[in-house]
Amino acid sequence: MRLEIITPDKKLFEGEVDAVSFPGIDGSFQVLKGHAPIISTLKEGRIKVSLSNDEKEIDMLSGEIENDPSNDRIIRLSIKGGVVEMQNDKIIVLAD
Amino acid sequence: MGNLKEIKARITSISSTMQITSAMKMVSAAKLRRAQDAITQMRPYSQKLQEILTNVSGTLDLSENAYADARAVNRVLIIAISSNRGLCGGFNNNITKRVNHLIKNEYPMTDVHVLSVGKKVNDAFKNTKYNVRPDQIGGAEEMFNDLSFERAAEVAQFAMDSFVNKTYDEVLVIYNQFKNAAVQEVMTEQLLPIAATEVEGEVQTSNGDYIFEPSKEEIITDLIPKTLKLQFYKSVLDSNASEHGARMTAMHKATDNASSLQKDLKLEYNKARQAAITNEILEIVGGAEALKGG
Repeated sequence: MRLEIITPDKKLFEGEVDAVSFPGIDGSFQVLKGHAPIISTLKEGRIKVSLSNDEKEIDMLSGEIENDPSNDRIIRLSIKGGVVEMQNDKIIVLAD
Repeated sequence: MGNLKEIKARITSISSTMQITSAMKMVSAAKLRRAQDAITQMRPYSQKLQEILTNVSGTLDLSENAYADARAVNRVLIIAISSNRGLCGGFNNNITKRVNHLIKNEYPMTDVHVLSVGKKVNDAFKNTKYNVRPDQIGGAEEMFNDLSFERAAEVAQFAMDSFVNKTYDEVLVIYNQFKNAAVQEVMTEQLLPIAATEVEGEVQTSNGDYIFEPSKEEIITDLIPKTLKLQFYKSVLDSNASEHGARMTAMHKATDNASSLQKDLKLEYNKARQAAITNEILEIVGGAEALKGG
């Protein structure tokens, strides 16, 4: 599924992913492929992204992305808050 | 006809001014492109936010929201967006004029405060009773030093807070809307209270399918401040692009004027030079005639 993380200033991330964990306002949650349509607000925290295996290279669009030292398919992004919408295996995060 | 040396000096000074204005034009053109890029960058975010908001609020009544509270207007805050620098035609003047016009004609009996973003409008209002000191609101004073969403958000937050705690009953934003590089239009937009949401065409609401986390109402209360901040940020970006567009046009005109002035002066210089030569020849011939005759 496709993940896009955008802020008013720039695009932080775009790519194919297998799973994403979000810091939801009522606790963290994870979405996988085929998740039902959801709109949720996010609080300050980190989005953990498991990159899809066919995603060969991603654009490091911003310095705020950190790689997991033990697994190069996992990256983390800090956000201050935001909203996430998922529909038809397309996730869009509007981060602050 | 001035003397040769004088004209020469004027030509030199005009050419150096021309160099400056044409350089400024180039700089503005480059900055304009960057400013337009920033607007393009923000567009997907703003579209998506609008989409989510319509999805969520399809059936919801917004009039309950604290930011939509339309009450009797006793105190008004005008946020005037200008630039930090001049030499851009009527760009800043138009804003000042519009603010003054509003104060005199629309709100003659109302308590009006002006918060200026950008030095130029601040210069116009800092010694009036309307002024809100921008240095007291984070982000307002240094907005154009480093334009970012965060700075704009701080100012919008100030407006929102003072609306909610009833310091102001209405917040207006006045800025130059960007039409194209040569055309700007002064716009007055109401930021608060939120005007009744216009239904823009047929928005397909796949409302029922969504899971809302934590709840529709809470998402709305979270989203509305975001849209307000974004709306304000948009105005600032528009104003920024307009500024560079206006300066580009102004500098283009200045360069054109300088080159026509330069052309006229060159003509005058050549005429003066030829007159001087003719005079010299006349003197020589006259002298020779006198010698011959003697």
